[in-house]
Amino acid sequence: MTPMLDCDAVMRQLWDFLDGELTAAREAAIREHLAVCARCFPQLEFERAFLDTLARARREHSSLEQVRTHVMAALSADGFRAA
Amino acid sequence: MHTDDAAKRQKDRDFEREALPWLPHVARYALSLTRNDDDADDLVQETYLRAYRSWTQYTVGTECRAWLFRICRNLFLRTRQREARQVHYDDPDLEALAVAAVHASAQQSGYGDVFTHVDLAESVEQAPADLPDAFRDAVILVDLQDQSYDTASRVLGVPIGTVRSRLFRGRRLLQEALLSFARDAGVVPTGDKPSQSEFRP
Repeated sequence: MTPMLDCDAVMRQLWDFLDGELTAAREAAIREHLAVCARCFPQLEFERAFLDTLARARREHSSLEQVRTHVMAALSADGFRAA
Repeated sequence: MHTDDAAKRQKDRDFEREALPWLPHVARYALSLTRNDDDADDLVQETYLRAYRSWTQYTVGTECRAWLFRICRNLFLRTRQREARQVHYDDPDLEALAVAAVHASAQQSGYGDVFTHVDLAESVEQAPADLPDAFRDAVILVDLQDQSYDTASRVLGVPIGTVRSRLFRGRRLLQEALLSFARDAGVVPTGDKPSQSEFRP
């Protein structure tokens, strides 16, 4: 039986956990800790809300088709021929 | 002559199959770097031209997106005549722990749920651009472009440990900046505490 992780170990890997960078076993161990820890759980919610806020700031180019047209024109002038 | 023609056709086919599908990703990345549609347009064109001309440097079937991102970033730094600042290497574990202090401070001052309840859209769009280059690069790749630590490591040419350290530091600096913005903007702290029943890792 694997001993439950302590808060310090969970805090060290909280970002990796939220970023999906851990092994399945380590992720499960952290999930188990977070489910019962009143100290670490609010930290998880705080960091997740922060990442959601950042994700909402993602921007797309206003005219991707125009970029594609310019790229293809530049490549054609350089000798590229699409199939 | 026939051999040269066949090689050229193969190169174009490979380029079309491996490089061109990433154009929307490269455009988004370029926009994150330049924060301006026209500059991003120029940067994407230059990236693809450079990639086409340097195609022999790329190994077909490997990570083309990371290769294109690396070209894009190098061109951006060069055209802006900016050097990636040397950043003192910190322990990523310590950085991960340091961010807990930001949360503790936010909670104590009643801003524990600031990211959930306050519209920070305007400031969060500007905030990454104000980070030191190395931290901004890591935040843009992982948080705004959804890249893994491994891909960010390949794009930036640094070990994964360095990506983690820079990313965690960048996030902490962003959190501090956004909390300052909320305080300066007169956002009323609520002091709400998250509920354990809402657990959803």
